[in-house]
Amino acid sequence: MYRYSEFDHQFVRQRAAQFRDQLTRHLAGTLSADDFGHMRRQNGWYVQRHAPMARVAIPYGTLSSTQMRALARIARNHDRGYGHFTTRTNIQFNWIPLERAADVMDELAEVGMHGIQTCGNCIRNITADAFAGIARDEVADPRPFCEIMRQWSSLHPEFAALPRKFKIAVNGALEDRAATAWYDVGLQLRRNEAGELGFQVRVGGGMGRTPMIGSVIREFLPWPQLLAYLEAVLRVYNEFGRRDNIWKARIKVIVKAFGAEFTHKVEEEFAAILGNDGDGVAPLISEAELARVAAHFETPKGVADQAASTSVVASLDESPAYRRWRQRNVHPHRLAGHCAVTLSLKRPGQAPGDTTDRQMDAAAELADHFSAGELRVTHQQNLVLPWVREADLHRLWLEARESSFATPNVGLLTDMICCPGGDVCSLANARSIPVSAHIAERFDDLDELHDIGDISLNISGCINSCGHHHSGHIGVLGVDKDGEEWYQVTLGGTDGAGGHGPAAPGRVLGPAFRDSEIPDVIESLIETYLARRQGAGERFIDTFRRLGVEPFRAAANRARRDVAEPALVE
Amino acid sequence: MTTAAMQFIVAEDDASPRADGNVAVEAGTTALIDWSEWLRLRADWPADLRASVALPNDLDIDETLADLGRFGRIALRFPKWTDGRAYSQARLLRVRHRFTGELRAMGDVIADMAAQLHRTGFDAAVLRPGESVEVAQRMLGLIRVFYQGDAHERRLRFARVEATA
Repeated sequence: MYRYSEFDHQFVRQRAAQFRDQLTRHLAGTLSADDFGHMRRQNGWYVQRHAPMARVAIPYGTLSSTQMRALARIARNHDRGYGHFTTRTNIQFNWIPLERAADVMDELAEVGMHGIQTCGNCIRNITADAFAGIARDEVADPRPFCEIMRQWSSLHPEFAALPRKFKIAVNGALEDRAATAWYDVGLQLRRNEAGELGFQVRVGGGMGRTPMIGSVIREFLPWPQLLAYLEAVLRVYNEFGRRDNIWKARIKVIVKAFGAEFTHKVEEEFAAILGNDGDGVAPLISEAELARVAAHFETPKGVADQAASTSVVASLDESPAYRRWRQRNVHPHRLAGHCAVTLSLKRPGQAPGDTTDRQMDAAAELADHFSAGELRVTHQQNLVLPWVREADLHRLWLEARESSFATPNVGLLTDMICCPGGDVCSLANARSIPVSAHIAERFDDLDELHDIGDISLNISGCINSCGHHHSGHIGVLGVDKDGEEWYQVTLGGTDGAGGHGPAAPGRVLGPAFRDSEIPDVIESLIETYLARRQGAGERFIDTFRRLGVEPFRAAANRARRDVAEPALVE
Repeated sequence: MTTAAMQFIVAEDDASPRADGNVAVEAGTTALIDWSEWLRLRADWPADLRASVALPNDLDIDETLADLGRFGRIALRFPKWTDGRAYSQARLLRVRHRFTGELRAMGDVIADMAAQLHRTGFDAAVLRPGESVEVAQRMLGLIRVFYQGDAHERRLRFARVEATA
């Protein structure tokens, strides 16, 4: 894990002091709500329905047990005892009074955390594959590059007032587990024919009103030039990104509008950075710097020692519960005798991603006992323990169950991605948590869930798409119709992972449904799949692709209750 | 580390007269001329007089390169303080094209922009009415460590460390 240097600590402390200055002026009435709004957002503070929402960055999803305990303390002392892990691997608190914002930032700074650039029109928290550094299919570890980009993008003076938010995701494995095609910039580590390491660069992916898959503008970018290339992309965006219409301000709009000209502009600017700027101005990453940062991400000492000497002792527990958990929540590891374990945050009675302060403490405890003190937050809003010995699995399972972390549903229907929705978010058109709860209640039979198999169900409370509904095999989007909550359903979206084919947006099924109809709609879709799949090996997404949208549309429409009967034709 | 220095001007005190066709001379440079006006005047502009020009914030900086040596001051505009196009313009003028005259921020400029303005190469800013010069000076110095290079320290943080190792 990356450990803050004195310089890093100084940086977050000074930023916290700057925020305290701004907050003090705002509370004293000398800094207007409008101006302060932009400043607090770039420190992670939104104003929501009940209180400000604090969004704390978890860079590339990596968290130490010490940091997790600090989050638990913040939830306990400043909030109502819980936090919400997001699909962009941040954590959000919904009940912290604004007056305490600067204190919370100080507490975060103590453990090397912050909310810098988790909101606002700037470069946001950078995300990566949750299995980075441990996956068997990894080309190279993305975390050192993520950390180098985190530092480079933090308070970059030129890119602090972009047309709109700007999100970067990095994947280092063969399978894209970071949804890179859906990002403003998606970076895929790869090797060229000479064996050198670099990135395939995609630009212009995004969700929102106009879902778009990023376009590849560079097949191979040598890694030392990564920051220089990003600088070129951002400078072109800063100059040409639209500022006249918030709905057309993301980079995807100019990538599409300019076509090949966009790539040309970026490459021209990139050449100018490498050429004209000269004299050490071009931000090239040195071998020494990569080595320095990469050293932070080496296999933890104790783990490496064990890997050499571990003999796997299979547990004698053959209970279906344990077997299911091993099947769904335990993942292969590059080290012999090791595995990664998902702590599911999708369990009855709690909203997807929500975690209480006690659960956070328990997760930290599990990380200390079983995973070298390290945790990951996943794009699917779960936690991962990355360094678990296979010999410890059964003991871990027993302990994880104590804190409701052991629901064996990873990758199944109830492993939903879900935004906080209208219950707390002031942007939302509709609530999303009750919808996810009703679906979870309807599908509470584990045998049935396992029979349905691999599927993703993503729910967003509004078109901002925080619940990534566009990329769900089933997507549910809250819409407002004359002040009422309605839900649009999409089918066939993919995020690029799981062998479900390349990233693609789902297709809209038709007019929106009432909230009370949604569980029936989902059930109809699932019944149609189960009835028509060709054997248990054909997954939902495969059946959908084979049959097309029509049978599913017809099934969903059967769940409509208050659509007027069509008039009989005489 | 050098102490950041910038001139902050409160909008009410900004005495720079606007060009109205009669170009006045003040303090070695002229009154501010809009870019379109400059394009009209440039052919007949005296060789020994350095002009002050105000650029629109969507102007491609490359279009100014032939004339950079004739400008004593370039004003860049912030129509809203959250519109950051002029940061890129300043950075290009100062770092890539080595403009040595004054770079002045104008428009909706607030005290809290001080550090970004300074780091992208501005050395003067006309603050929006009601903004405090004292706060601007303070905001210039609150954060003193940065990861990126900027108009003053051009190297990335790690390159600075490597150079002294």
